[in-house]
Amino acid sequence: MAKLSSSSSTTSDAKALFQTLRSAYSATPINLKIIDLYVIFAILTALIQVVYMALVGSFPFNSFLSGVLSCVGTAVLAVCLRIQVNKENKEFKDLPPERAFADFVLCNLVLHLVIMNFLG
Amino acid sequence: MANFSIFFFTSILLLPLLCQSFSTANPTDKRILVLLDDLAIKSSHSIFFKSLQQRGFKLDFKLADDPKISLHRYGQYLYDGLILFSPSINKFGGSFDLASVLEFVDSGHDLILAADSSASDLIREIANECGADFDEDSSAMVIDHTSYAVSNSEGDHTLIASDDFINSNVILGSKMIEAPVLFKGIGHTLNPVNSQVLKVLSASSSAYSANPETKFTSPPSLTGSRISLVSVVQARNNARILISGSLDLFSNRLFRSGVQMAGSLTKYPKSGNEQFATELSKWVFHERGHLKAVNVRHNKVGETDEPAMYRINDDLEYFVEIYEWSGTSWEPYVSDDVQVQFYMMSPYVLKTISADQKGLYYTSFKVPDVYGVFQFKVEYHRLGYTSLNLAKQIPVRPFRHNEYERFLTAAFPYYGSSFSTMAGFFVFTIIYLYNK
Amino acid sequence: MGGSTHQNTPVSSTAQVSSSNNMKADLPFSFSLKTFKLKTKQQELLIRVTILGLVYILAFITRLFSVLRYESMIHEFDPYFNYRTTLFLTENGFYEFWNWFDSESWYPLGRIIGGTLYPGLMVTAALIYWTLRFLRFAVHIREVCVLTAPFFASNTTIVAYFFGKELWDSGAGLVAAALIAICPGYISRSVAGSYDNEGVAIFALLLTFYLFVKAVNTGSLAWALASAFGYFYMVSAWGGYVFIINLIPLYVLVLLITGRYSMRLYVAYNCMYVLGMLLAMQIQFVGFQHVQSGEHMAAMGVFFLMQVFYFLGWVKHLLSDTKLFQAFLRVTLTCTIGLGGLALGVGMASGYISPWTGRFYSLLDPTYAKDHIPIIASVSEHQPTAWSSFMFDFHILLFLFPAGLYFCFKRLSDTTIFIVMYGLTSMYFASVMVRLILVATPAMCLISGISVSATLKNLTSLIRTKNKTLHTGSSKGTVSAKASSKASFDQSPPFGKKTAIALLVGAFYLLSQYAMHCTWVTSEAYSSPSIVLAARGAHGDRIIFDDYREAYFWLRQNTPQDAKVMSWWDYGYQITAMGNRTVIVDNNTWNNTHIATVGRAMSSYEDEAYEIMRSLDVDYVLVVFGGVTGYSSDDINKFLWMVRIGGGVFPVIKEPDYLVNGEYRVDKGAAPKMLNCLMYKLSYYRFGELTTEYGKPPGYDRARGVEIGNKDVKLHHLEEAFTTSNWIVRIYKVKSPSNRW
Repeated sequence: MAKLSSSSSTTSDAKALFQTLRSAYSATPINLKIIDLYVIFAILTALIQVVYMALVGSFPFNSFLSGVLSCVGTAVLAVCLRIQVNKENKEFKDLPPERAFADFVLCNLVLHLVIMNFLG
Repeated sequence: MANFSIFFFTSILLLPLLCQSFSTANPTDKRILVLLDDLAIKSSHSIFFKSLQQRGFKLDFKLADDPKISLHRYGQYLYDGLILFSPSINKFGGSFDLASVLEFVDSGHDLILAADSSASDLIREIANECGADFDEDSSAMVIDHTSYAVSNSEGDHTLIASDDFINSNVILGSKMIEAPVLFKGIGHTLNPVNSQVLKVLSASSSAYSANPETKFTSPPSLTGSRISLVSVVQARNNARILISGSLDLFSNRLFRSGVQMAGSLTKYPKSGNEQFATELSKWVFHERGHLKAVNVRHNKVGETDEPAMYRINDDLEYFVEIYEWSGTSWEPYVSDDVQVQFYMMSPYVLKTISADQKGLYYTSFKVPDVYGVFQFKVEYHRLGYTSLNLAKQIPVRPFRHNEYERFLTAAFPYYGSSFSTMAGFFVFTIIYLYNK
Repeated sequence: MGGSTHQNTPVSSTAQVSSSNNMKADLPFSFSLKTFKLKTKQQELLIRVTILGLVYILAFITRLFSVLRYESMIHEFDPYFNYRTTLFLTENGFYEFWNWFDSESWYPLGRIIGGTLYPGLMVTAALIYWTLRFLRFAVHIREVCVLTAPFFASNTTIVAYFFGKELWDSGAGLVAAALIAICPGYISRSVAGSYDNEGVAIFALLLTFYLFVKAVNTGSLAWALASAFGYFYMVSAWGGYVFIINLIPLYVLVLLITGRYSMRLYVAYNCMYVLGMLLAMQIQFVGFQHVQSGEHMAAMGVFFLMQVFYFLGWVKHLLSDTKLFQAFLRVTLTCTIGLGGLALGVGMASGYISPWTGRFYSLLDPTYAKDHIPIIASVSEHQPTAWSSFMFDFHILLFLFPAGLYFCFKRLSDTTIFIVMYGLTSMYFASVMVRLILVATPAMCLISGISVSATLKNLTSLIRTKNKTLHTGSSKGTVSAKASSKASFDQSPPFGKKTAIALLVGAFYLLSQYAMHCTWVTSEAYSSPSIVLAARGAHGDRIIFDDYREAYFWLRQNTPQDAKVMSWWDYGYQITAMGNRTVIVDNNTWNNTHIATVGRAMSSYEDEAYEIMRSLDVDYVLVVFGGVTGYSSDDINKFLWMVRIGGGVFPVIKEPDYLVNGEYRVDKGAAPKMLNCLMYKLSYYRFGELTTEYGKPPGYDRARGVEIGNKDVKLHHLEEAFTTSNWIVRIYKVKSPSNRW
């Protein structure tokens, strides 16, 4: 609702915003773009499941949770990785990207193992 | 020698059986102690005693104040039944007293108690403990001016004829008692708190209890069909008690006499007393109406072993065999009103169980979707029959973690997404690593 | 470590160590270490390890008073259940344990043990047991259970050290470790034999916090993962994990508001939350609560907030134009808030999100339980804390805590904000519920550790700058290295060296007082197993009342295998564990109605109670009675709670019926219903004939100091089956219905 009303009033603004965003985004390094793609994939999968749950009902609740949480977890971990390997973030200068990626893989392994346990 | 030793050993083996007073294998009592006021009763009531003896009972006659009376020796009861034909006794002989009579009954033995107008406090107290209160006026008798027995000698209408029997074939036998029963004695009422006592023979609505010799000073305390003439009690442990307000009811004289009820034209050549007393004694001494339930078992459908625990929604089968004692042997008891409950605080399943001709009852049902400690309960209470109270405890557990349904179709998208994220993770890892 | 045995002698006297760990203990070492010609760094490490080792041992042995005073036995009520389940676990393996349906408690409802407990403690003890067996130590599981809590208390000191180090410096860590090793607030729940969830949970709690703080400081996924595992362990061990799942989001929120948001925080929190939540869901008892119960919604809200925040930050980073960004911000913010509110509303309305539980409410509003949930209010542990017990449990920490807060505010960082928040919230909770003093203890110790360490450091550095020859070796261990690296606060103190020395001596005096107090409290107050009672006799000798065990063993030996015992729920766990008999209710108070039924039976007249007992198939009734011994926590003193709980469900039971002018009494002036209810009859049956004290009439109740009002107690449907030698436990048999009636 809010989006609609504001966009109608400031359509040109929104367009300009979108343009600026696109141009700014094209400057991001390729590895970060891969991560972004991965995150979008995960979020989309999660959204599909939420819609499916809304249609079918939440009966195997643990399956639903593990399905959605695996996506959310993947997305969040990927974002964390993105933060850590982003050279622009000064906070993580000490952290080598290899170490960051190893941590990321470790967390993912744990995530998927738990999901496997929780799925059935 | 060998022969002798075999005999010796068999007798030792049989000893516990012989000592057992109330054996489930043979519920009919065999040894009966008869306590009398006066040995003359032995001959004046000989027909009743003879019928007992003919049915295999060993009667041991003793005077009620005999100091050698003892019901048990070495912790074992010597008798299986007790007949108290001693209405006027105030104190039993020996160490025998009110408490030991009650203890005798409470340990599962049977009792016939007959009083008359001379009933002592002791006898009244025993009856009272069994739920029958005799009229407190010690000189009162049951008088009935409309349904008295027509007789030439007595004119005070204390010999009354009653045909108001309890409607139970189990207690009074299947053959209907045609002639009225002659009764001369005191009436009693049933204690309303007591749920075990039953009126077998009640007075007519015009009866009352008063002293026949004096005039009324106040209205009689007991009147009408509230007066019970003969009552029985079946205790919770299935001991049976017969309480009669008239000792004469069992006498040869009333057994033999004819009866004609006042106002009725039919004259029976023989009163109903003999049949009534005999049938009632059969019931009291467990020759009839004694049930037993054996081989209670249950199992899951398709299995034969009894499990230690069921799971919710299991299908199970329940079996019980019920037999009735016919006086000589156990006969299958077939009825269509036996019910089993699957009970936890309240019955979750209540099913009528059907029997085959051999007395084997069977049913099957599904364990409810509730876990807890359940009981299989069969509570079978039928008028005259011994009550069956079977309770068998069985816990019901919920599903184990690996017993839930798996691979539900509804959940396939979730499985798919989980695996796709996993696959996505691998693809991502590879792309990311090779991209550098 | 040759010196450590040397130093062990004062350790056993406990009084010395805590005060000495900073300074005094170093002296003999530094002299001997000089001879080894070690470098300063190595010396420091060696000293630190030695002190930590001593603290580790101290934490363990100070908890052994109860074993020495009494014997190696399980204490209290709940630990008996834990012991019983651990026994089951070791005998039948994990899967049987996980699926255990217990038909011996909560008759006839039964209890799914596997799904209604926090298995962390049992699994831990079983793992220790199996490890020891694997190493060929033939120990009994009971010994393992008895010593689990002290062992974990020792581990907690190590965590406290590292936490302190992360917060401030290693000196503060050492002081904190020493303080927590002997802090009575913690000892009260972790003496040997107190085999309860809290013993393990405090370790897990502190570990989770430490790892999370570490994760926030480094921004590393690995630390966040470790903290998620710490959280998982905490969830598996104790229901107090709710504190973590609310404190951490609160902390994150505070950082967001104060503008301390950082990418490190994002990484730490999100990874910890998602993985921690997922792991926690593997515990059957917790299940879906993380997404369904109101108590966990804060964490989820903060999680989404973080995403929004990150997303906005990212967009802001992309757009350098502030005006455009503001427009964008408006749109997104309204959208998110609207969506979030909608989701929460739908969730609440559709019942997916359950409202807060009563225990949680009573935390926020201390008077809530009193008015609404008698069963929570009836537990003495759930009462609001008295000042004296604060003093008793914390002693000087109570004064050091504000000082520590001052130091924390002085050097504000992400970590100190965390400990300040932890300290303040847990102090609030501790003042609401007595048992939550336990949660506050680590925070108190850490903050006090900071204050002690910072004060001592300032004082010693002051002394050393004035006179370098004095004390060089002594304070080197913990202070000097750090002091040089960081700027000290009070560069120009207004007072001289002598004042500093005087203050130092004062600090040592305080700390040694603390150590004395702790040892005294531990030995006197917290080492009693409460199942065996001790009293002083007329001649000052110690009398042991072992009535509980006497009664439970009687039950075990003399009653049928499937006998059902009714008692007030306090004794349920003990009866099942020691008496091995089925109980109607026990300490796991999950079914209020069932407990209320028992309360109703206890407060009814005998014939009404008989009907209730028949309907529950009760064979024996057990009551605890202290009138002979003067044992005051018996059933008569708990009776009003039975009335209240019973009356809460069955309005037939009314509390005023048992009171006279609002006064609870058992003597002649007592209410008639009180004098004839089942509990009164069972407690005082045959008591009227007994002379308990010289010079007092028969039937004089020593626990309440009155002569009882109904001395002629007659029982109709029950008969006395067993009374222990000091009358503390009385067992009655429920008679079967009368044969002829």
